[in-house]
Amino acid sequence: MLDFFAIFSKGGIVLWCFHEAGVTESFTGPVNALIRSVILQERSGNNSYTHNALTLKYKLDNEFELVFVVGFQKILTLTYVDKLIDDVQRHFRDRYKNELEEKGALKLLLNSFEFNDEFQTLLRMAEESSRSRGPVLMKSFEKSQKSQKTVKSMIETKGGDKSKEQGGKNKKGNKKEGELCGGCCSFPCRLIVSVKGNYLDILCLEVLNFSTFTLANRKSPKPQKPKGKEKRVWDMGGSSTKELDYSASNGGNSLETASFSKDIMEDLVGVAKKGGFGGMFGMLKGLVGSKSLTQEDMEPVLEKMRDHLIAKNVAADIASQLCNSVGKKLEGKVMGTFTTVASTVKQALHDSLVQILQPKRRVDVLRDVLEARAQRRPYVITFCGVNGVGKSTNLAKISFWLIENGFSVLIAACDTFRAGAVEQLRTHQRRLNSLHPPEKHSGRQVVQLYEKGYGKDAAGIAMEAIAYARNQGFDVVLVDTAGRMQDNTPLMTALAKLIAVNMPDLVLFVGEALVGNEAVDQLVKFNQALADHSMSDKPRLIDGIILTKFDTIDDKVGAAISMTYITGQPIVFVGTGQTYNDLRSLNARAVVNTLMKA
Amino acid sequence: MAQGEVVPPQPLAFQPYLESLLAELRAQEPAVVLGVAVAVVVVILTIVFLHAFLGKKSTRSAVLLIGLCDSGKTLLFSRLLCGKYKRTQTSITESSALYRTKGDRGTAWTLCDLPGHESLRPQYIEKAIVFVVDSAIFQKEVRDVAELLYSLLTDTVVVKNAPALLVACNKQDVTMAKSAKLIQQQLEKELNTLRVTRSAALSAQDGSPGGTTVHLGKKGKDFEFSQLPMRMEFVECSARGNKGEEGDADIADLETCLAKLA
Repeated sequence: MLDFFAIFSKGGIVLWCFHEAGVTESFTGPVNALIRSVILQERSGNNSYTHNALTLKYKLDNEFELVFVVGFQKILTLTYVDKLIDDVQRHFRDRYKNELEEKGALKLLLNSFEFNDEFQTLLRMAEESSRSRGPVLMKSFEKSQKSQKTVKSMIETKGGDKSKEQGGKNKKGNKKEGELCGGCCSFPCRLIVSVKGNYLDILCLEVLNFSTFTLANRKSPKPQKPKGKEKRVWDMGGSSTKELDYSASNGGNSLETASFSKDIMEDLVGVAKKGGFGGMFGMLKGLVGSKSLTQEDMEPVLEKMRDHLIAKNVAADIASQLCNSVGKKLEGKVMGTFTTVASTVKQALHDSLVQILQPKRRVDVLRDVLEARAQRRPYVITFCGVNGVGKSTNLAKISFWLIENGFSVLIAACDTFRAGAVEQLRTHQRRLNSLHPPEKHSGRQVVQLYEKGYGKDAAGIAMEAIAYARNQGFDVVLVDTAGRMQDNTPLMTALAKLIAVNMPDLVLFVGEALVGNEAVDQLVKFNQALADHSMSDKPRLIDGIILTKFDTIDDKVGAAISMTYITGQPIVFVGTGQTYNDLRSLNARAVVNTLMKA
Repeated sequence: MAQGEVVPPQPLAFQPYLESLLAELRAQEPAVVLGVAVAVVVVILTIVFLHAFLGKKSTRSAVLLIGLCDSGKTLLFSRLLCGKYKRTQTSITESSALYRTKGDRGTAWTLCDLPGHESLRPQYIEKAIVFVVDSAIFQKEVRDVAELLYSLLTDTVVVKNAPALLVACNKQDVTMAKSAKLIQQQLEKELNTLRVTRSAALSAQDGSPGGTTVHLGKKGKDFEFSQLPMRMEFVECSARGNKGEEGDADIADLETCLAKLA
């Protein structure tokens, strides 16, 4: 029932594959999609992925740099797949250990890996085990726990501990009520019966009928015992106060090799505390020899890295997803000599952060504008985002950059809601025109504003502006929209309509660098709205991100990671101030270095 | 010290320890002191050597296979090394192996296949770079190909070493594949435009220049590949070969070019 099973190396060579008879499509497409969207984007936390009609489950073997992928139809739920992958991995490794241990790709190319028979046996075993377990039968009444209970124990009593005599047992009290009442469970009856003649209580109970559900949920009353004052137990309190003792070494390892000896010292100290001589010897052996990483080894380091990332303003669940993914990527990997667990994990995290921040597609706005100019149409950029992030300011900065490079810009004022939005854009237009006067540009104004006042439909204004630009030969149209909260459905629908109708070349989401966990929510909801309300089956989603107010954060640059991780789109511009010159591009390495610094 | 007098703070916490150590040393014989000093020096030297030794990466000359995703680098890698056809998937990590050129001299270098999505290259001393281009969909991807080639040509390491650059126009077995000459012309035109747009790119947020400081070719004239300091050649090849999986690949031109490099 599987569609295919493939084993390939991380370098890309397929070592062995199995195709179910009758399946015509090759598995290359889905597996490539899996690699690109999951493994390369560090989302390998959970090991399954859906692509069109197929579900793909995968497992990484980091010791020999292999990937095991199995694919089956999405509508089937096969329970034996996880176990099958583990079994196949074990058998494959055991059988081809010698070939796989050779370094260099030559061995992989030269050998042919015949695994068909073993795989068929394993598959048959797995299918049989799942079949033999059989469908789960419903429990009969005799076997269930309910039949063990007596009727009396099921009668609810209200607040019995207050109204009971001292030292009275539960059963005794219940039996009394049961006799009185004949075991009926209707509400008012029960409550009046159970209350020992306390008028106030009866009144309260009858008035608060709706809250009887909560009262009824109280189980049989607690045993009576004169209690002293109990120690207060907090939910997040923890069990011991040892964790609160921070007088031990402070963290703060940096990535440079200078900290390498410090890591060793910490490890030595840690091991000396734990295991004494045997532990020290084992640690030294681990330091020099080849030790493979396990989840337990990496757990404390990953925990520390997660907290570090969260302290640097990365969204909380993104930080934990990243750390899980790095853990999965390193599990089973053999460390080199003189490397500690901490340094390996930090290096891997550093590399994956750089990978995330590198743009997946080409980011060159000027080149695209030139292309659009060659096709005699304007290049349309739309700015969207929540309130107050800096859309209009960064729009002005981008138009300054464009006119510096010789393009003519039309600003479409589609913010018809906020008071002063149109005037703000007009002021920018005047300033930009005074910086680049029309005399120098063959008598033509380099920046013009297309506005229709307040209260009109934004999508209509945008469409007219684009048509005007096409007629007048403008190179770029910058569409400014009103800020809106991501859970304001009518406004999100309006934005989606604007984008779906006008099909801009670039949809930029403007987000401020100060945002924390909110970034995830904003981006997800914006993308969701754009996808839901578009008519076509290939909806226009967010194409790029502008990260604003970057000068206000010193080194808490985590918002960049959150935003690129969620959307997978690059950060096109970085805003670092409020003057026209404060527009930058993103340097991924510098940001990651700042992020990983202690 | 009288009571009530303020004791000045100790300048060094281990001043007393140092003094006791020096007193100990003086008490010993000079041979022992000399032995200890030699041991310390040897240990320091060993640490320095190990650091230097571990820090350096492979310095053997390498031939890199670079290109966009799905251009056929891994299959080309497999064909060059052992002539067999292997199914391939998107590479996640790099793979390298020793490659022996055909012919009499048979020099060996490391052939290194880099994943398409990575823009970071390891610090190999490159002897030559094989830039693999997918000729079938070149027309659609011309801007991406040109951007990758531009970042390669303006990389500081490449500019310093000026390795030979071989542009392999792969997938010639597909009917709509463009010829090497056409690809060369298109790339020249595109790089000409890119010179302008990339130098106008914004600088990075920490002040480092976003665009590149290296200017390709000659100023004032249209860009041509002959203006570059490195040797450039365009070859056509087909890693899959005309007969599909069973047949041989059509990489004879590529192999002769590689042999000429040695």
